[in-house]
Amino acid sequence: MTRPAVLVIAFVLTLGLVLGAAAAGGSLVATDGGAEDPPEIENEQYLDEDLPKDRTPGTADVTMDADVEPQTVVIDPGVESSTRRPSGPGLPFVPTGLGPDTTERDILPLVNALIENGHDVRIYTPSAGQERPRRPAPPGAEEEQLTPLGQELADADAFVTLRTEYDDDQLDEIRDFARADGRVVMATEPADNFDQPGAADLRATLNVTSQPGYVYNMADNDLNFQRIFAEPAAGAGLTAGVDRAVFPTATPVTTAGAPDSQLIPTAGAQLSTSRAETDQPVMVRNDDVVVVGDTNFLSPENAQRADNDVLIGNLADFLVTNDRTPEEQPPQPPEPAEETPGGPGPTPPGSGQTTPDGPQPEPPSDGN
Amino acid sequence: MVTSRLSDRQETAVVVLVAAVVGLALAPAVLGATGDTADTVAVVEVEGPILSPLADSVEQELRDVRQNDSVKAVVLKMNTPGGAAPASERMYMAVQRTAQEMPVVASVQQSSASGGYYTMLPAETIYVLPTSVTGSVGLAAGAPQPNEPVRGPSGPNKRGGSVVGQWAVQETLADTFINTVMKQRGDEFNVSRSEVAKAKVYLGTRAVQNGFADKIGSTDEAIREAADRAGLDGYQVDTRETGFSNIPSLLRTGEQPFLLQNDDRIFVVYANDPGYGQVQPMKFPLVHQGAVPHIDTVEDVTRSDLRSETDSPDDRQRAGADGAGGVNR
Repeated sequence: MTRPAVLVIAFVLTLGLVLGAAAAGGSLVATDGGAEDPPEIENEQYLDEDLPKDRTPGTADVTMDADVEPQTVVIDPGVESSTRRPSGPGLPFVPTGLGPDTTERDILPLVNALIENGHDVRIYTPSAGQERPRRPAPPGAEEEQLTPLGQELADADAFVTLRTEYDDDQLDEIRDFARADGRVVMATEPADNFDQPGAADLRATLNVTSQPGYVYNMADNDLNFQRIFAEPAAGAGLTAGVDRAVFPTATPVTTAGAPDSQLIPTAGAQLSTSRAETDQPVMVRNDDVVVVGDTNFLSPENAQRADNDVLIGNLADFLVTNDRTPEEQPPQPPEPAEETPGGPGPTPPGSGQTTPDGPQPEPPSDGN
Repeated sequence: MVTSRLSDRQETAVVVLVAAVVGLALAPAVLGATGDTADTVAVVEVEGPILSPLADSVEQELRDVRQNDSVKAVVLKMNTPGGAAPASERMYMAVQRTAQEMPVVASVQQSSASGGYYTMLPAETIYVLPTSVTGSVGLAAGAPQPNEPVRGPSGPNKRGGSVVGQWAVQETLADTFINTVMKQRGDEFNVSRSEVAKAKVYLGTRAVQNGFADKIGSTDEAIREAADRAGLDGYQVDTRETGFSNIPSLLRTGEQPFLLQNDDRIFVVYANDPGYGQVQPMKFPLVHQGAVPHIDTVEDVTRSDLRSETDSPDDRQRAGADGAGGVNR
């Protein structure tokens, strides 16, 4: 190796050594190189003893007081088919709707109470083929045939519906049923005003109203702001023994005329559409019709909350303490349009309509 | 005239000495380049849905910041609709630790809501743009549903729980978030706890009035305040990306996870053309739901593209022959 080469190598090695040391030192200066001893932090709010909420489901004891002959109650749980979205090669994975729709399980506490007390319960869950308008009368027949719902109501004493979408023929049959002393419980949901265009028709049939939006209470609720408490505000009967009941998704409701009894939200409740306080009822009874702005209060888990079990028992009593005698009050299909020009319009349920057998007597009070 | 010649050894010593001098002259530059000893304000970017990988990345960056003596202050550059509860809590704690050691200032871009708001709570000052969105303090969970009985699990809660129990868990989680917000910023709020719990989102202009934010300004103002709080006259800014761009496994796909919602819940989707395992429901979302597109909306927007891709050439040719060439089906 030549002398100049030796000197160059010496220069490069020395320079590299010095700069390497500087680089290593720099790195050591920038980070301490060791494992961090993380600073201590305090979050006492996570340790608050009151933070974990009570997970106890509660218990339910649904009992009936009515001592009456066995009655027939038709219940339409409003079973909806789930929405199916397209899927297949080339299309993205699409998560479809989760969670069950209303099922028989959701009304089981009411159903069980009725059955345990000797009453006949029929769940109206028509298949798609059955859900059709009234058929025209066959040649030679004297009157039109009833829809499947009408056939059920013809033999029933009371009707519970968690559904709002009916066709015109069915609405006529429900109106006839209510006029003929049949007791009706209509439960609706805030969402019904969004996705069920027929909701107003059933409300008009039963002379009841509901509001757009839902009721909530930020301070006084059952584990969620929408699970409001409601308490009796007028009358007794339907609300007897109820201190407060839970309604998971309630909308305000009213009936035409003064209510016999009602449940109103507890203080601090507000309406979602106005963000203003509301004391409008979420359950009202007027004569033979009860309208409830919620369908989930009947479910097994909600029957165990607050006094919902008492309320459900009262509803069962309301249904079976009717004045209807199906065999003496057969359904009255409307006459053909050309035969009833200018005929009397619809009358409110329980308003004392006329039948071929003469005026119906005013329903005696059942104490509710 | 006297001439002297250095010996080889002396010659080598001179060369080494010169090299050492040159090296020492260059050392400060090398030291600065490798050590960044200049006072620094680190800008840590928090972008996108808050999920475990983002929390991993933010935790690591903030740990590195705390161990780097040259970093004197941190600015959190926030742009997120929120995300999963555990990831949000982890990031909150990481920011809390950092704030113990140096000033932390937050700068909200388009939004920093729900889990994003949770994350930046320990910041000494929250800057927002006039149109930034912040707030949404709460849990965007769906309603618990009853489980059908299953046979086999070792206990009743192993594959399902009571509906009320699930409501209690959700309420506990929401209260945990709200209580933390009240602890961190309760003194700044002009609104009650009940109002906070309504989970409203606020534009920046409103947020500085009700205490959800402190000042209107961009990231530059946030950097300046962070430096002032650290007592820095001169400083450099070190921007640190976090999240999915720092995660090799996700970087390879070139795709970032995104959020979708249906009527019941929010989902995390980990690929544009997801398969099994790449769509996960978010159980406890701390998410500003208004920032998450609905699956129906996505379908409506993408349908024509999807059909164009799936249609066969014959179909497209037929459509053109039918005079539908100008119609985007």
